[in-house]
Amino acid sequence: MLPLDAAAYTNRWRPRHPGEKALLSLGLLVLTLVLPTWPGAALTGGVALVLVLGPAGLPGRALWRAVRVPLGFVVTGMLPLLVSLGGDPWLRWEPAGLPQAAQLAGRATAALLCLLLFAATTPLADLLPRLNRIGVPPAVTEVAALTYRFLFLLLESLRAVREAQAGRLGFRTWRTSYRALSGQGAAVFVRAFDRARRLEQGLASRGYTGSLRVQVAARELSAAFVAATCVLLAAVVVATFLLVPR
Amino acid sequence: MHIAEGYLPPLHAAAWAVASAPFVVHGARAVVQQVRTDPDSKLLLGAAGAFSFVLSALKIPSVTGSCSHPTGTGLGAVLFRPPVMALLGTVVLFFQAVLLAHGGLTTLGANVFSMAVVGPWVAYGTYRLVRRLGGGLGPAVFLAAALGDLATYCVTSVQLALAFPDATSGVGGAVVKFGSIFAITQIPLAVSEGLLTLLVVRLLVRVSPDELRRLGVLPTPPATPTAKEVGA
Repeated sequence: MLPLDAAAYTNRWRPRHPGEKALLSLGLLVLTLVLPTWPGAALTGGVALVLVLGPAGLPGRALWRAVRVPLGFVVTGMLPLLVSLGGDPWLRWEPAGLPQAAQLAGRATAALLCLLLFAATTPLADLLPRLNRIGVPPAVTEVAALTYRFLFLLLESLRAVREAQAGRLGFRTWRTSYRALSGQGAAVFVRAFDRARRLEQGLASRGYTGSLRVQVAARELSAAFVAATCVLLAAVVVATFLLVPR
Repeated sequence: MHIAEGYLPPLHAAAWAVASAPFVVHGARAVVQQVRTDPDSKLLLGAAGAFSFVLSALKIPSVTGSCSHPTGTGLGAVLFRPPVMALLGTVVLFFQAVLLAHGGLTTLGANVFSMAVVGPWVAYGTYRLVRRLGGGLGPAVFLAAALGDLATYCVTSVQLALAFPDATSGVGGAVVKFGSIFAITQIPLAVSEGLLTLLVVRLLVRVSPDELRRLGVLPTPPATPTAKEVGA
């Protein structure tokens, strides 16, 4: 299982309506982008961090495991802003880029935490069927839901194939590595289409007419949560403008 | 070549979302139409989406010693055509954002534009062109995957350069800057991806010619359709 997906099913906010969590985390995400980065991003990132570790109850270690790779991208993404091209010498260190790089890193880190607040609390199985209500065609959400269901099976197949190949020294040289990798790609393709065909036969034998009915757990929208979210978002905006350096 | 969450300023994020929206809507229309005429194709599309997601989990050994993953746009475009790839690519990028925190929701539009629109179209265009000029399936697939990957990386460089112009040389200098930083990893990676895609397609021609015929990649039955188990 993917760590974020596991967290989405086990966190304390799991029973909440996906709409509530989307309003909160995507609201914070939008504020991260539109408010002045200092102190806006520090506030939204801090709020998201407290919410995800506190009320949502995600263990700190799980959060770290989810953020460490994307944080690496944030750091490497800063580097191009610290060098400048053209002029003399042609390539040089650009100290003037430091504030912009710091601003970018702050914004990207805060945005990442807001994204995680959503991703680590909302299972896709809860979210996808509800996208129909905001205008996504049912055919599209059903294809997405099928993709979601298939991908874990395929990742598991991929892991098994990779282990088998490693056990037979499949990654010893470049040549064998490429052979092994192409085997992985082809095996996943064959299994994906085999799964689809078997699902097709299974559905056909139960009178498939074109609609995939799955039970979606009923979730109540909590007015208190929505109100609290609106108050929190407004408070972040006000605090940012009070704290912004003039 | 994902642009991370929060990396683009709001105006850029919105503009790229607007730029990729028509392609995604067109892809969604194509999918809705296809599902209406053939309800079974829904399952195949789901499998294709999952396949595209898992492709990006393959780890290609890279010259710099680290591992990198293929974009899979070339193979996807050849197998499933660019309009469908625009939608499947969007779904996959959304999943990568919420399941792996790779990419993001605000940068989804920019990522869709480079990886689910430009990459597949360049790959498919190359594939058709090479086939029309009389090239075999192998060279066509290799060039499609390699150029699709390169096109993706060029678009990402331009997107980043527009958002963060160079202090002295402006947007042009920034394109060179981002482009040359990515070139170190991306040019060998494009060649690797081309090679890998070629090997995958060659294997698929041997082990599942029926599926390739169903997708319209193979028009006529091949000479020796032998069913053989893959995996090890």
